[in-house]
Amino acid sequence: MRDGLGSSPAEAPLGAAEGAIRAARRWFRGSGIGGQVVSLAVVMGLFAIGTGGRYLTLTNIQVILSLAAIPTIIAVGLHQVVVLGGIDLSVEGVVALCVVFVGLLIKNNMNGNDVGLWIVPITLGVGALAGLVSGLCNTKLAIPSFIATLGMSWLLWGLAVFVSQGQTVALLDQRFHPFVTGSVLGIPNLAILAVLLTAGLQLVQDKSQFGRYLYAIGGDEVLAKQAGVKVDRVKIVVFTLAGFLYGLAALLLTTRLGGSQAITGNNLLFPAVTAVAVGGVALTGGIGGARNAALGALIVTALNDGLILMHVNPYAQDAVNGVVLVVAVALTIDRKKLGFIK
Amino acid sequence: MDTSSARREPVFELRRVSKSYPGVVALDAMDFAVYPKEIVGLVGENGAGKSTLMKILVGLVQPDSGSLHLRGERVTLVDPAAAVRYGVGMVFQEGSLVPNLSILENLFLCHEAGFRRAGFLKKRAMRETAERVLAEVNVHVEVDSIVSGISPALRQMVEIARLLWLSTLYKKANPILILDEPTTVLTEGERTTLFGILRTIKERASVIFISHRLQEVMENSDRIVILKDGRKVKELPAEEARLEEIERLMVGQAFSVDRYREEEQAPPRKEELLSVTKLKKKGAFEALSFGVKRGEILGLVGLVGSGKEEICKCLSGLSKADGGTVKLAGRELVPGSPSDAVASGQGHVPIDRRSEGLALNMTVAKNVNLLVLEFLKSAGLVSPKKEKANAAKWIEECRIKAPSPSTACGNLSGGNQQKAVMAKWLSSSVKLLVLDHPTRGVDVGARDDIYRLIRKLAKDGIGMVIMCDTFEEDIGLSHRLLVLKDGRLVAEVPCPPGKKPNPSDIIGLVV
Amino acid sequence: METREAIEEGRGEGEHARARRRRTPALVYSVALLAALVLLFALGNRHFLSAYNLNTIASYAAILLVVGLGQMCTILIGGIDLSVGGLMSLTAVVFVLSLRSIGYWAFPLCLVMGLLVGFLNGSILTRVRIPSFIATLGTGGIMTSLALIVSPLPIDVPAPRYGMLNIVNGSLFGMKNLLLLTLLVFLLFYVVLRLTVTGNRILFVGSNITMSWMSGIDIVKTRNLAYVLSGLGASVAAVLVSCGQFGGDPTLGNVYILTSIAAVVVGGTAMTGGSGGPVNTLIGALILGVMENGMNVVGVNAYFQQSILGAVIIVSVFLTFDRSKVSVVK
Repeated sequence: MRDGLGSSPAEAPLGAAEGAIRAARRWFRGSGIGGQVVSLAVVMGLFAIGTGGRYLTLTNIQVILSLAAIPTIIAVGLHQVVVLGGIDLSVEGVVALCVVFVGLLIKNNMNGNDVGLWIVPITLGVGALAGLVSGLCNTKLAIPSFIATLGMSWLLWGLAVFVSQGQTVALLDQRFHPFVTGSVLGIPNLAILAVLLTAGLQLVQDKSQFGRYLYAIGGDEVLAKQAGVKVDRVKIVVFTLAGFLYGLAALLLTTRLGGSQAITGNNLLFPAVTAVAVGGVALTGGIGGARNAALGALIVTALNDGLILMHVNPYAQDAVNGVVLVVAVALTIDRKKLGFIK
Repeated sequence: MDTSSARREPVFELRRVSKSYPGVVALDAMDFAVYPKEIVGLVGENGAGKSTLMKILVGLVQPDSGSLHLRGERVTLVDPAAAVRYGVGMVFQEGSLVPNLSILENLFLCHEAGFRRAGFLKKRAMRETAERVLAEVNVHVEVDSIVSGISPALRQMVEIARLLWLSTLYKKANPILILDEPTTVLTEGERTTLFGILRTIKERASVIFISHRLQEVMENSDRIVILKDGRKVKELPAEEARLEEIERLMVGQAFSVDRYREEEQAPPRKEELLSVTKLKKKGAFEALSFGVKRGEILGLVGLVGSGKEEICKCLSGLSKADGGTVKLAGRELVPGSPSDAVASGQGHVPIDRRSEGLALNMTVAKNVNLLVLEFLKSAGLVSPKKEKANAAKWIEECRIKAPSPSTACGNLSGGNQQKAVMAKWLSSSVKLLVLDHPTRGVDVGARDDIYRLIRKLAKDGIGMVIMCDTFEEDIGLSHRLLVLKDGRLVAEVPCPPGKKPNPSDIIGLVV
Repeated sequence: METREAIEEGRGEGEHARARRRRTPALVYSVALLAALVLLFALGNRHFLSAYNLNTIASYAAILLVVGLGQMCTILIGGIDLSVGGLMSLTAVVFVLSLRSIGYWAFPLCLVMGLLVGFLNGSILTRVRIPSFIATLGTGGIMTSLALIVSPLPIDVPAPRYGMLNIVNGSLFGMKNLLLLTLLVFLLFYVVLRLTVTGNRILFVGSNITMSWMSGIDIVKTRNLAYVLSGLGASVAAVLVSCGQFGGDPTLGNVYILTSIAAVVVGGTAMTGGSGGPVNTLIGALILGVMENGMNVVGVNAYFQQSILGAVIIVSVFLTFDRSKVSVVK
């Protein structure tokens, strides 16, 4: 039956352009990053021309690096769920909740709390816990990841707004501020952190047992399970780690902004999913690593930054991201694995 | 029963193992033993019980009764991973390597504990071990190659190597390797290589292999076990085996005349209904031509790899042929388009009725009416009254036993589900019906209903192309048989009522 | 014997047997839930069953029902439409703007727009061949953007045009037009899904797409119908809301992505596709309406209600998900 599925008349191909598209697809897909590096160069080139060179100033490069850091951390968390073959739409909810926690527990202008450095493990813990719950819903309750995480997002978001009473909190504890805004040798600290996290996770993916299991499940979950992979356990770890990283992103975001409100996390999901797809992590799973997610985030940030510099309507960013997302997924998805499109 | 010297103890034994599925007895108090250092060839028709036996041996399925004994001890194999720890492993037909991982990674998947250091894997040590393990089965290949890109022959060897390595890892003497139709995907040369390797493996392991190529089984096994209808018909040392005897034992001698309603077999009409000209598909079957008349039942017989399934898929538009044409009632069918085939009057009763034949959560009535809703309209909209009437008519016609027409199809027995599938096609006035193993998993009573339906259809002038589970059924139902072997049409055998050929005559042509 | 089938058959022996047992239709549970909620809130608050309050609930539920019916079509076929939010936002602003220029023609314009967007979604699925949740996430994002580009701030219907809104805001025979129109939409969806050939096929494709394909069903046409209906539901809902608000809000749709899904699943339609229908969505919309109303009266924070909605969705999906249909849950 496999024979018929890939070429069923239910999905009509794009005709003459198919050859070129197939070549492009082969190029983009895969844990190799050749396609992504070239895309980045192309994007930057186009904007360099479009902005008459303003795009390539040192200041702007630093801005891009600094802006890309947090989406990178989120994308790196998200992409592992995608490698498994699922999707994690809970980003905004988790971030919202963590942001609110940071705002209310750290020294602020609303209440007398002052947990100081404890905020770090607390935030990371809250994020991880949220991820754990998503993972449990997906594995033990057998709820598809997309609904489980979508539901979680709203659940946590509502909780966040409720806890914060919809108010904006100003942070008085400034101890993190120098770190999140500072730089070393011209490179923003956040960027360095993002790179270290990416490299670390990539190392784990390449060289550990866990990494093998991750890709085995993504490649063929049924066969992986038969070979003895403890699928549920791996999935739960992946979701928990994702939540952990979202928590980290929330912490950095809040301390950089100096204030916390529940809506801080809004508009983080779309670029993160786009980043993962653009980076070459196939939605069908089994392909793509941390460095792909990071590069994808860089490309998306570079793209959005260029749009801003060229004074494109800010509301158009979602539209551009939407198109880029659809194109990126179309190029990286493994249609044979997917079977019929629903 | 034992070939040489002393009385050997079996390394793996099944005692009086039985397994039944609803309406079907798969294994009937089977005794099966594997001795150390031997190659056992397992043969039997489809439905003989080979698959079920294998599944029980590797822990995929639990027997209903009976016991398993490994190296003298009674065991329960809860799943394949547990079986592997006992040193019993299977190489499936399609292979079970994870496609996006490398050979290296697949070899040691889930058992890398020995290579771990500070949480990370020692790649170099893994590579060395991998190369050594593969060398033992005479394979020298780049171990970082991704599995999806290597040949089926190589994949098989990797799986065999993995099983052998795992048995040494778990210190199990004399592992048992089960190979399910290993030679189907291999070239002539690769087959020779495989059997050469199996002979070297024999020195420290036992191998069970299932094959339909009887010559091959005779040449490469030490002992041959023949199954039929869930029972072990005979086992004998390979050197004592003769081809004709094996064939006879596999298919049975007596041919029960009345089972297939032979007396209702009327001669086909004169008009040509289906005409297939030089149809070919690379890797499946070579150019062949045949025709089906109105009211004729044409049976396609052949073993795995004969190409008959692919031919039927091409007929129904489920698969695209590489050349040739299919004409139904004079109209040429568009290749690869099931909707065109159906619109032209062709129906397809699939082998897997649950996943391909019915919408299980929807009612019998809805499923039966699926294809004729256009004709059940009044005032431009579908009429519930006409739906009900049509459904009732065909439920009765096909003798579908359901509590009510609003019962969900998932709640019907296998036989009634199959009848529902046929009702769906019959209600849409098909001209030609392709039946893919129509009585698989169907109990005896429903089977008779289906035969009755088939006879009626033929009498009404509907042509049929049929593939059955047993030669006996093919012979009994068809007017004519087309015998296929390795993708080629090798013979055409008439099956007139009263003068039906014997299954043993046919099997000689097929193997 | 193929590997995958061998493994799944081995594991699934019990499942086939389990599937044979009778399953109480989800509708029974959702009606029971509705009844329980009504009882609960009625006992807690004597004004709950007043005509005014019931009317409030009905008006709220009506919008949910309309957009929910559209969403239901895509879920029935086994997909989802995450672009309903963006489409609603875009329709809201387009409606108000076109009211100013072309008057009454704004109504059919928005309907057509909804149909076209739905067709676009369906075509992307067929031609680009990516899963519906990504495709509609993308198109939804594009439309969300477009709405804000067209009008960053909410725009009001100019006073001279108020009369035109009476199509929705007026009453006929004592019933609010809003409710009558909703009833009309409900009947339309019911007729299309149950009494047209392609509508019936939506359920078949959702239940078993392989079988549908093998039986010669035109999957492309069926899919297009489902997504076109979804677009229609979203655009009609947006028009109804805009009339009631006397203005178009470019961020109108954001909350409806979630609530439309909620209305569908809470009513008992399974996300796996192929089971459920308009009546389920009706009950689901009423449940949500009663919950929202009841929680407001009791004083539950509006944002916390969103949390509860998230939890409710997870639970409903868990209860209606047909596990025998998927071997692995991703």
